[in-house]
Amino acid sequence: MFKKGLTRRDFVKAGLLTAAATGLGAGVLKPTGLWAAEAKIKGPVKVGYQAILSGTLAGYGEFHKMGVDMAVEEINAAGGIGGAKLEVEFRDSTLKNPEAIKNARYFVDSWGADFLAGVDSSGQALALAPVMAQLDKPLMVTHAATEKLTEQEVFKNGVKQIFRICTPTYQDGNAAAFVAKDLPAMKWATISPKYEYGYTCWGMFKDTLGKLKPGTEFVAESWAPFGTTDFRAHINTIMDANPDGLYSVEWAGELITMMKQADQAGLFKKIKHVMLPVGAAMDVLEGLGAEMPDNIWISGRYFFLYPDNPKNNEWVAAFQKRWKHYPAYVSETGYSSIYAFKAAVEAAGSKDTKAVIEALEGMEFDSPAGKRVFRKEDHQAMYSVPWGLTKADPKYPFKIMGKMVVIPPEECFNRPPFEGAASMPPFKS
Amino acid sequence: MGRYLPYMAFGLLIVLLVCIGLFADRFVLYLTMRVMLLSIFALGYNLLLGRTGLLSFGHAAFYAAGSYGMALFYLHINPDPLLGILAGVGLAVVASLVIGFFCVRHTEIYFAMLTLAFGMMVFSLIWNLRDITGGDDGLVGIGRNPLLGFSIAKDSQYYFLVVFFFALTVWIIHRIRSSPFGLVLAGISENHQRASFAGISIKSYRLAAFVISGAFAGLAGSLGAMLESNSDPFSAHWTHSAEPVLVSLIGGLHTFSGPIVGSVLFVVLREIIERFTQNWMLWLGIILLVIIMGFRGGAMGSAEQYLARWGRKFREESAS
Amino acid sequence: MLESLIHVCLAGLSKGMFIWLVASGLTLIFGVLGVLNFAHGSFYMLGAYFCYTLLSMFSDNFWLGLALGPLCVCAVGFVVERFFLRYVYHLHLPYQLLLTFAFVIIFDNLVKILWGGGSIGSPTVTGMAGSVSIAGRLFPTYSLFIMAVGPLVALGLWLMLEKTWAGRIIRAASSDREMASALGVRVPALYTGVFVFGTWLGAMGGGLAVPYVGLLTPGMGEGIIIDAFVVAVIGGLGSLKGAFLGALIIGLLSSFGTRFIPSFDMFLIFILMAGVLLWRPQGFFGEAS
Repeated sequence: MFKKGLTRRDFVKAGLLTAAATGLGAGVLKPTGLWAAEAKIKGPVKVGYQAILSGTLAGYGEFHKMGVDMAVEEINAAGGIGGAKLEVEFRDSTLKNPEAIKNARYFVDSWGADFLAGVDSSGQALALAPVMAQLDKPLMVTHAATEKLTEQEVFKNGVKQIFRICTPTYQDGNAAAFVAKDLPAMKWATISPKYEYGYTCWGMFKDTLGKLKPGTEFVAESWAPFGTTDFRAHINTIMDANPDGLYSVEWAGELITMMKQADQAGLFKKIKHVMLPVGAAMDVLEGLGAEMPDNIWISGRYFFLYPDNPKNNEWVAAFQKRWKHYPAYVSETGYSSIYAFKAAVEAAGSKDTKAVIEALEGMEFDSPAGKRVFRKEDHQAMYSVPWGLTKADPKYPFKIMGKMVVIPPEECFNRPPFEGAASMPPFKS
Repeated sequence: MGRYLPYMAFGLLIVLLVCIGLFADRFVLYLTMRVMLLSIFALGYNLLLGRTGLLSFGHAAFYAAGSYGMALFYLHINPDPLLGILAGVGLAVVASLVIGFFCVRHTEIYFAMLTLAFGMMVFSLIWNLRDITGGDDGLVGIGRNPLLGFSIAKDSQYYFLVVFFFALTVWIIHRIRSSPFGLVLAGISENHQRASFAGISIKSYRLAAFVISGAFAGLAGSLGAMLESNSDPFSAHWTHSAEPVLVSLIGGLHTFSGPIVGSVLFVVLREIIERFTQNWMLWLGIILLVIIMGFRGGAMGSAEQYLARWGRKFREESAS
Repeated sequence: MLESLIHVCLAGLSKGMFIWLVASGLTLIFGVLGVLNFAHGSFYMLGAYFCYTLLSMFSDNFWLGLALGPLCVCAVGFVVERFFLRYVYHLHLPYQLLLTFAFVIIFDNLVKILWGGGSIGSPTVTGMAGSVSIAGRLFPTYSLFIMAVGPLVALGLWLMLEKTWAGRIIRAASSDREMASALGVRVPALYTGVFVFGTWLGAMGGGLAVPYVGLLTPGMGEGIIIDAFVVAVIGGLGSLKGAFLGALIIGLLSSFGTRFIPSFDMFLIFILMAGVLLWRPQGFFGEAS
């Protein structure tokens, strides 16, 4: 239960220390030693990482941690970041905004973090924006996908401390539309989460596909509340509308449940074109196993078989050796977030916030997911994630992507200044 | 001497809070603000639970009403912080008046279930009225404009506003508890039949307690919106209503200072546990279990008992 | 249109029966012990996890898992009642609710530690994996099975309470504890027995959920417990007959609502819950006091 390296005595001793410090002592005295923030360039580089570690989505936190732990082990074994040791601490983000804010404040003000990373929920990411501006430390978002974060907070409000290393809703909405335009489907419907993420992605999909392929109809929407376990009524709604294609940004456990129940209802026999923007998540593929039908379009924030190059293949092999698991997309974004900080600190020659932000802006670096570039204007990482058709492969106990299609981010990601139709795909040039 | 003890304790507390505000680092400052907000929420709540014996699962809705009231007022009407707080508390009072009107018809489990139903309706409204509430993203960008010419933008400045409202809450709740009104509430909780024989309209007293606690939940909510600079839909969820109950229980359900002590313990203990394990929830569960099984008076109740026993022993020894 | 109506109806009925399986134990415990058990959702979760683990051990034999899994959870239920809950019956409501709430937190986290935080996709049941064609559209065989089990459980409970010696004692103790005690009924033992039986019902619900929901996650009990609360409340707290009807109403309402009212939400269900509490708190079958 306790983290490695702490004995019970340490626990008691540090507990008393902490109690004294948090309760009364630190109220009057400036923190020293354990509590002091490192201000010099020397000394450990500290990254505070928060992810969801409790409740029904706790599995995501575990996958984040696998990727991050691996990066820490590798970097420290190879001499750290610019000679300094790398330290990472984890905290449970729950899904509540005040907890995310408290974690960020703890990391920076009490633990002395130089950088922050993680964050699963879009609401939390948005709530953290003003806090990061105040704390003035870089935050690398590894899972939350809302485009408002980079468009509004970074680009318009100028919260330069925030970066995002994962693909945003553009991949789920716009890129899906680019794939859908080549499918012989003219009538689309959706079962999607009854919250901003679902509304946004479906909105982008409709908008972009409507422009790419005029005449496309969008015939039914069924919004499933957070925590839905029975999708049968939603499935009925879709089947009544008799669409050619189903688009769904359900994710994690709810997607598994939906797919099983849709299969039982014979939905895949009637609807031939199904697009799941987060269907390539490892928990979904493994959770469904052979029950995932063939020829479903899936994507994610990263898929372990893409790109098929030595860097990625070696990483996947090493990950498998270390954790007996294929890397989930949050494992990759978590892993790469640490390497992004490493690259930026080494380029800047300092872990000073301003220098690191300058180094990160426009920085190009190599990661398992391929080449990533942080777009200067909105701090969004530009990299490509494939869309692919599911198929069985004797090498894996789950379905993988057979035929892959890559929509370059330059083509499907919204562009600054994020205003008017010219900022949204399809682009002329 | 004994009569002045509460006042001395109160004075000491304020001095301590001011010292923290002047000398502590930013994280301790922030945590202390969180403790004070939770205390305000729980002090009001305990007027209903500890005094009147009603367990509500809907007070998170009033916290959220305060938070969203403040945020909407700031974003659309006027960015003045004091008016914003007034708007937040006002919305919470209206909400608790309407919901309370229905809920106080019942007691015990039926009251708890009614408040749960109404609270979840509010949660559902916040979640679904996206154009107004921002849906699950909540409302963001709530700033802190100067208050009567004083800047409260920095945490170290805003802190003193929170201290002011915290002190105000402690003072008001203390006055209410020792007023005839508060005594009637206690009487109702002990024996509602006798109280009604005495010619007291039980429902209106319960409703009054309900609305007062709702108002303080709203105050905590609007201060929270300014502290965190956003309003969070989950703050209306019923699980958030469990927080003041936990805090009151940890500190001592039937004591005045219980909610304050409980808030300190709740926040500080969690801070400590989280430094050692990611499974802090498990430990929270175990601590709760221990309190309910062994220390039902909570921290303050147990301390009182201990002091009373010690005092008795002391008197006996000095008498012999 | 007709095929759609039939299927919306079927989906509602199966959902209702599924909630009933969980709500029955909750209602029984409340009716006899007077305790609203938050941890009932945890027993549901534990039932699912134990069932899953056992069926994986016995080469995916679902029935063996379903037979043994809930029995293991009964042992947990026994410990909860005998060593904890028993000592708070005489206390105020907050203590009872918070005690069961503490167990929710503890069980959720223990499951996370023991089985991992990730979701587990569960296997299908041999012989019931497929679907049957009803009115030109497929309907899962297993949902039909759930729709059959629900009324059977109701019938079994009714027979037990009305026709057996144990049932008479339970009814006597739930209507007047002191009288039953004076007549020589060992009330504490009876309470333990009823609690363990209620636990078994909740755990059975969890075991049956393994193929129905198709997924296990830590915290899976927190969603269902609110559904079960709603059902228990609109049926009149403590009334099994009412809970059965309440489950049907909620199942059909949410199915039809999801299909025909685009903005449908739990909001309407909570309005129904509040309405029942205000105007008919004794439920459909209870007598007005």
